[in-house]
Amino acid sequence: MSPNAIMSSDREQVLRLRSIVMAFGRLFAVNGVDLDVAKGEHLAILGPNGAGKTTLFNVISGDLTPTRGTVMIKGVDCTSLPSRRRPRFGMARTYQKARSFPGLSVEDNLYLAVVGKRGRHLSLWRSGTDRSWREQARAAAETVWLTEELATPVSDLSHGQKRQLEIGMAVATDPDILLLDEPASGLSRGEREWLIELLSDLGADITLLLIEHDMDVALRVVDRVMVMADGQQIAAGTPSEIEHDPVVLQTYLGTGASA
Amino acid sequence: MKQAKTSGRRLVASSLFALALIVAACADDDADAPPGLDDSEDAVDDVDDADDADDDVDVADDGDDEVRLGILGQCEGPFGGFHEDTVAGVALALVNHAGATVPSDDTALDGWEGAEVNGTPIELVGVGCGDDTPDRILAEVRQLVEQNDANVVIGPLSGDEGIAVAEYALQNPDVTFLSGIAGSQEPTLEVQAPNFFRFHGEGAIWNAGLGDILHNQEGWETAAVIADDYSFGHTSTAGFVAEFCGVGGEVTSRVFPPLGTTDYSSYIAQLPDPDEVDGYFWAVGGTGTQAALEAFVDAKGDLTGDQHAGNLFFNPDLAQALGPDIAGAYVGGFASPPGDVQMPAIDEYLASADETWDSLPTGIAGGERADASAAASFGFMYGYYSAGVALVDGLAETGGDPSPEPLQSALGGLSVELPYGDIALDDNRSGIVDVFISRLTVDDESGEVVQETVALIPEVDQTFGGTFGADTPAPSRDFPPCEERDLPWVGNAIPVEDGVPQQ
Amino acid sequence: MTRQLRSPTTIAFVAVVALLVVLPAIGSSFFVNFIMTRTLILGLAAATIVFLSAYGGMVSLAQLMLFGTAGFMFGNAVLEASPRGLNLGWAPWTAVVFALAVATAIAFLLGALSSRTTGIYFLMLTLVYAVIGYNVFAQVVPISGPSGITRITPPPPITQATHLYYAALLLSIGGYVVLKLVARTPFGLALQGVRDDPVRMASLGFRVPLHRALAFTLAGFIAGVAGLLNVWWNGQIDPASIGISPTLVLLIVAVIGGISHLEGAWLGAFVYVAANSYLRALPFVDRIGITEDRFNTVIGALVLLIMVLSPEGLSGVIQRLSNEGRRRFSRFSSRDGTGRVDTSGDDAGESPVVMIDSSTSPPTEERK
Ligand SMILES: Nc1ncnc2c1ncn2[C@@H]1O[C@H](COP(=O)(O)OP(=O)(O)O)[C@@H](O)[C@H]1O
Ligand SMILES: [Mg+2]
Repeated sequence: MSPNAIMSSDREQVLRLRSIVMAFGRLFAVNGVDLDVAKGEHLAILGPNGAGKTTLFNVISGDLTPTRGTVMIKGVDCTSLPSRRRPRFGMARTYQKARSFPGLSVEDNLYLAVVGKRGRHLSLWRSGTDRSWREQARAAAETVWLTEELATPVSDLSHGQKRQLEIGMAVATDPDILLLDEPASGLSRGEREWLIELLSDLGADITLLLIEHDMDVALRVVDRVMVMADGQQIAAGTPSEIEHDPVVLQTYLGTGASA
Repeated sequence: MKQAKTSGRRLVASSLFALALIVAACADDDADAPPGLDDSEDAVDDVDDADDADDDVDVADDGDDEVRLGILGQCEGPFGGFHEDTVAGVALALVNHAGATVPSDDTALDGWEGAEVNGTPIELVGVGCGDDTPDRILAEVRQLVEQNDANVVIGPLSGDEGIAVAEYALQNPDVTFLSGIAGSQEPTLEVQAPNFFRFHGEGAIWNAGLGDILHNQEGWETAAVIADDYSFGHTSTAGFVAEFCGVGGEVTSRVFPPLGTTDYSSYIAQLPDPDEVDGYFWAVGGTGTQAALEAFVDAKGDLTGDQHAGNLFFNPDLAQALGPDIAGAYVGGFASPPGDVQMPAIDEYLASADETWDSLPTGIAGGERADASAAASFGFMYGYYSAGVALVDGLAETGGDPSPEPLQSALGGLSVELPYGDIALDDNRSGIVDVFISRLTVDDESGEVVQETVALIPEVDQTFGGTFGADTPAPSRDFPPCEERDLPWVGNAIPVEDGVPQQ
Repeated sequence: MTRQLRSPTTIAFVAVVALLVVLPAIGSSFFVNFIMTRTLILGLAAATIVFLSAYGGMVSLAQLMLFGTAGFMFGNAVLEASPRGLNLGWAPWTAVVFALAVATAIAFLLGALSSRTTGIYFLMLTLVYAVIGYNVFAQVVPISGPSGITRITPPPPITQATHLYYAALLLSIGGYVVLKLVARTPFGLALQGVRDDPVRMASLGFRVPLHRALAFTLAGFIAGVAGLLNVWWNGQIDPASIGISPTLVLLIVAVIGGISHLEGAWLGAFVYVAANSYLRALPFVDRIGITEDRFNTVIGALVLLIMVLSPEGLSGVIQRLSNEGRRRFSRFSSRDGTGRVDTSGDDAGESPVVMIDSSTSPPTEERK
């Protein structure tokens, strides 16, 4: 059941978690998770509500510092590195509930994502570099089909559009480690197809960690699956292995895929 | 959305535009006078007191054949309860000396009618509403002068306001200012605006006589001082220290609790014990007076009235909490003496107040209604009354001409006859006044503690024989120092027996 | 934002400025040199509250303290032989630089100190700054008096009241334009991002506390500029000038105008100053109980009325009217950001003002 079993050892490790524990008071949201992810790998994290998936993401992205355990990103120990330092490792994430900036336009949201990674945070002038970053922001808008809405304040977007923007903000920075927390939730059937297409087209260099309830989406775009329950890994393997794993069927799928 | 936002902003901007336009239009334009930082000429809009607001006078052109009087009171802040008292003081002066009548017998705020000196009418153009802060009183005085076009202002009420208004006077030489009852030294001693006149005393002056009596008559060699740590506390203390040390006494300790202290025990602990010092001088005001004295009793044992003296904040009511032991304490003076002083002029003055109003809401009754004479007998209303009488006398001197030069030179030379003693001015246009020193005593008949006037110190001026001047520092925790000095009035105290000065 | 959409704003802005420029020629001297000069000064100071609130999600009560600090510093530095203050006797423009430097430095320090707090905690912390500032000036008498610093005059070439009016106008326009432009710069956009969701900003790579601290510094600098104008205009400053009641007045000015619109600050200041001066002059107001001593009650009622009509103040009322006409109402009310300080879900609360403000926003669903 070790994840290493299905990994080709010559691939570069981009993420290595060792015995991660995240406790909120007496609640162990994540309770001893080990995980290795190689460059270019697409990994889905499945599990029922409250399994600790989002918390694990928060630990990886630095929003939370784990109670115990270590987080290595590209060979560097980042366990207690604040979240703002992680974009420089090429990491970008989305949130389960869209967390964009409702007071700003779509373009500005995407632009901030670019600026956040590139620098010039305190600049009071707009410059040539700035223009190219705007280009980048607009390109990201195109990727997530929001070109029409560039000038719209985010508070005026529909729910689905906010999800699109959420993904857009993550891909705008050209990340090579992408963490998506339930990107398909709240999307229509058509939008899901679009999402699957988008994720399938991700470059081979991009490492993807995907939390997804929609098995359809998850299993079509990943090459490895990890299943969590009660803060622990209960199964791991290829999508087809997982689909037939009795433990998974009982503890996860048994409770209903829509949970 | 963008569009909505933009047009919203446009509307915001336009409405500012419109509002500005409306108000600008409301004010009569009078742009011919050159504006300047110190310019007060071209005020525009004569806003009469609300009674006859429809009776606008175009004042821009007829500048100098009437007195457009503004009064600076306080309707908010610690002395907010005395707002009526301030206007009443001025109104009563005009009733008694300028033939005015009041339209209402239960409030003074409606002003007066028919005030005239040598044919020159005195109109009330506005009552400024201070809150005891310099900023506010400046805004109010600017409104009176620059908007309501006042050419004479009576006020303000308190010390720090006095400094601000005197500074403003300096910038506006064409307006004549008469202090209401501002009790700091600086407006006259230091600012010296030639158009700012003060026909009353101040914090230091009001304690003149105490040092002489306590040292030479009661035999105090040493004294400790406890006073509020702000300008009035410092000034009040300064008057005591200058004289007590001046006649050879020694102030061995000075303690300054901050204003608003509720627990005085730590400050009392800094005072010497009763066997280490001959007496104590208290300049703690408001609710602090009683609280501080109670803390003293707790810490040092019993109170011996003979061992204490206080500034104007000492009064017979203290006996209610402290018992009759407080009897024997000496009390400094204020603009008006305690009620036991009897002179025909005083009776006449108090009677005239009662004739003018049935009752007034007055600070002396905590803002409740009381007889007008009760308000009139207290220093706040009396200070404004004195200013009003001085204005009438000054106008009489100029033959009714209210223009700045003749009026100001007339005021400077006046000796105003006033019920509690005549007042002339020193070189800085501050009052040279008589101070009444009193003592808390047990009344033989009722057995209650009463305030009995014991001495009248004639002609006290604010320099204290050179102790205070334009170049000396403002009174502070350690100024003035304890040094011997000559004071002109020492030895001239006139004893007062049964309310009658023994001239 | 295209040119075409921009032009009505620009036209209105230019029209207002043009009116204000010619005002001394048509308005009375009291109106220009008292009402409008004071409006511009108070408006500039209140605009810093609005800026911090609208773009940074921080409601600050420390702005008047910084305003006063600059005034005190100028007075101490410039006076030579005054009976009050330090009497450093410096050249006026040196004193200006010094006063602004001190106000800005203090703003940076305090901003850094409070950069990790938001909502009600930030409000309380800035209230503490205001109280401490007041006490420092009230108790350290050599820098504040005794009894205030008086006889402060503007530096040359400001020698007349109208010069001062124009200085206030120029600096108000400058302050307005700077704050507006800053909002469009990378720094300003990031600040708005911090307002909307500090956690997300951090995970995008931004140093959230630094942005807050620098915004506070900028606001402190502009408050200092307003504070200088104020002492030039008023001639004096004393500890009571920065006491708790004027501190609240400045907040009220910002709230009247609308805490989320910069231009509202001047509108609020105008309403406050004009009400203060003209309300009592209206015929018969005293008949209905509005006398000077009830002025605070009247202002209070006015604030209440405006808040009930529109939590976004007068500019909100006006904007709402315009938006209703365009059936844009629902969008408008969710546009503004001050109610969103809490989207991180971890911040324990919001300031009262922010709370009222967010009542028009749709319930935020971002809470974790
Ligand atoms: N900030 C937090 N404080 C306290 N408990 C939390 C916090 N975040 C998550 N939890 C708890 O941790 C558990 C795991 O939550 P989460 O990681 O969001 O689950 P999932 O994303 O798998 O649905 C849940 O019981 C949740 O209530
Ligand atoms: Mg989750």
